[in-house]
Amino acid sequence: MQYTTDIRVIRIMCTGRMDPAVMADAFVHGLDGLLVLGCLFGECHYVSGNFNARHKINMTKEMLAYAGMNPGRLSFRNLSSAESELFVKHVTDFSAEIRELGPLGGEADRVPLPKLREKLEIARTALAGPKLRWVVGKKPVFIDTGNKYQEVFTEHEINRTLGGIVVDEMATHSILAALQNKPASVKELAKELEIPAPETLKYVLGLKRRGFLEMESVKDHTPLYKYVEQEG
Amino acid sequence: MEKEELRIGVFVCKCGSNIAGSLDVEGLAEYASTLPNVVYAPWNLYTCADAGLEEIKKGIKEHNLNRVVVASCSPRTHEPLFRSVCGEAGMNPYFFEMVNIRDQCSWVHQDKAQAESSMDKARDLIRMGAAKAALLEPQEIITSEVEVRALVIGGGIAGLTAAISLGNRGFPVILLEKEKELGGMLRSLYRLAPMDLDASEVINAKIKEAEDNPNIEIYTGATIEKVEGFIGKFDITFSANGTSKYVRLGVVIIATGAGNLVPEGMYQYDGDKVITQWELEERFKAGKVDANNVVIIQCVGARSPERRYCSRICCAIGIKNAILIKERNPEAKVHILYRDLMMYGVENEDQLRKAKELGVRFVKYDPERPPVVEENKVTVFHHLMGKELEIPQEMVVLSTPLVGTEDGVKIGNLFRAGLDQNKFFLEAHVKLRPLDCGTDGIFICGSAHYPKDVRESIMQALGAVSRASIPLSQGEVKIEPIVTTLVNKDACRGCGLCVALCPYNALEIRDTDEGRKVNIITVACKGCGVCAATCYRHALSINSFTDYQMEAQIHSFMAA
Repeated sequence: MQYTTDIRVIRIMCTGRMDPAVMADAFVHGLDGLLVLGCLFGECHYVSGNFNARHKINMTKEMLAYAGMNPGRLSFRNLSSAESELFVKHVTDFSAEIRELGPLGGEADRVPLPKLREKLEIARTALAGPKLRWVVGKKPVFIDTGNKYQEVFTEHEINRTLGGIVVDEMATHSILAALQNKPASVKELAKELEIPAPETLKYVLGLKRRGFLEMESVKDHTPLYKYVEQEG
Repeated sequence: MEKEELRIGVFVCKCGSNIAGSLDVEGLAEYASTLPNVVYAPWNLYTCADAGLEEIKKGIKEHNLNRVVVASCSPRTHEPLFRSVCGEAGMNPYFFEMVNIRDQCSWVHQDKAQAESSMDKARDLIRMGAAKAALLEPQEIITSEVEVRALVIGGGIAGLTAAISLGNRGFPVILLEKEKELGGMLRSLYRLAPMDLDASEVINAKIKEAEDNPNIEIYTGATIEKVEGFIGKFDITFSANGTSKYVRLGVVIIATGAGNLVPEGMYQYDGDKVITQWELEERFKAGKVDANNVVIIQCVGARSPERRYCSRICCAIGIKNAILIKERNPEAKVHILYRDLMMYGVENEDQLRKAKELGVRFVKYDPERPPVVEENKVTVFHHLMGKELEIPQEMVVLSTPLVGTEDGVKIGNLFRAGLDQNKFFLEAHVKLRPLDCGTDGIFICGSAHYPKDVRESIMQALGAVSRASIPLSQGEVKIEPIVTTLVNKDACRGCGLCVALCPYNALEIRDTDEGRKVNIITVACKGCGVCAATCYRHALSINSFTDYQMEAQIHSFMAA
């Protein structure tokens, strides 16, 4: 059994341990590809860890793709611990796929470096934040037993919700990051972040209401907003 | 926590020629000595041999090491050994980290063309290991007392055998049966193949033995209402005959058995002229089997799209009953229509031979062209002759599979014991832990696990008892501290998201002076990390597998 020297193995107890923020962090630090290998579905050594992992990895892929990275750089594949040949196949395939994509931030990615790193950093912040984690954590519960009112959701419904949150979170965290640098108007933010101005206004007002922003000054009849330091 | 100076020792193993054959181990050791915080980096011929282990101990003492990395083989086989050696030398055993340069480098990159990139990989892995070691924290082995009492759920042949065996070992046992009588499926069976025993005699002897055993408390008509706790301390509330009872116990054996599939709408099943094997058994018992032309159809409702599995005992049952009919009435014509015959083992093979000698006819059918049951005849396409056969019939017997039950699902949910898609209980590992559930302290036996004959059920029950006896006789359980920890109590809001996702019931929300907080039942935790990866407050972490440690490994890799 021989295979490529391209991979480095990091041991975890169960793929259920894969934290979305840790996965994003790997790409922030310039990793070209991250392959998560776990048990076959239904044969998880930790009962249901790989199902949880799948939800989290799919969400992370969507977020990182939205940030401008080629989602093929993150992959979840399954095998049993007795399938060495399949292991070799998975790492060989993945290595070939990543070689095809080239280094992070190259032609295969929608956004080039160094802009991509900034965006991935924002994605990591969002993936470490409550909103996405809460929904992806509740996902198996909502699909399986439903919410407090016994309303059971399909995976498709939850994914659509998650897709919406990915867009919102990327926008709000981009605005926060931009305003942490320097105060700006909605118009300036919209231009810099390439978000339509009415959308930007909606996000800014939402963030202001929740105490993340406040008006700094008014310049040429346009309000400038600044970031408010958060406690805890 | 006081900040101590990090002093990492990296021991690189040659493993004879296993590693040194394709890696420059001395070069790796030299490289390791240049890494941050590494103060000592020797190479050994065999780190796991006495001489190598002595060198680790000597290194810890002489160089005042407080972290040890061994770059050698698989942690699956050698981590416990190196850990304990570090412990013997006075270091906390969990300040140890293992790097696998044998299975991940020297064995799998032997091509000369890979020599340099394999060395790069080994250097990276050692650097990543040292980076993780720098962040390791000390841990203590967890011990927990075990209540010396067992619960057996199900009073069939498996449950009775388990209860009797536990009772004979001197452990107090509580045996719960949902029906009004003990005995389970055997009560409705006639004779047992291949030993040709009377099923009632077998089960009645078992019931008497259980009832006479002073260590066994039996409750019939019982339902389990509530289950709390973990290995050693399961708190169970059950009701039996109208009264509710609470009991604490150390281990649980699940022997809830299986159900019979009723083949409604298949092969003209009516329970009169077309019956199941189970109904045939009842007719045998009542002495009401007198048909001269009998057709037995195998795999009815099994190995089909809705039930893909093979129930594996139905072939033996069909053939046993065919023999019984032939022995009572040699003139009777018995046909067995089958897909494949599952007659495993010496005795079953003999049964098949005997059936053929007695003149039972075997016709293989194609599931694409199943037999058609009509008034007084069965039409079947003969696979080998390539033509339709018409077989006259007075009675058709359908061999249906054992199926998982809703009761099993309820028990599985109560104990968080996993079931497969067919509602049979899942073992923790098919080969390594075939009698244990994924949750510690819970064991499975009998047809609750998979369709089994009586002998297999008894064997498995005895095996489950052996497993269950370990914590009962030791009186305590020792658990690896690779478990979840509430690293930031202030951050926890007591939301319970982690509790909902924990597959082991190892988390609960408690009201404390600081508000609702998660409480970790470390004994039940397996360290999978789902909770830590989920917590939106980042309040939970897994010992020795923290976010920071994983990130440090990646950062260290990228920092090459």
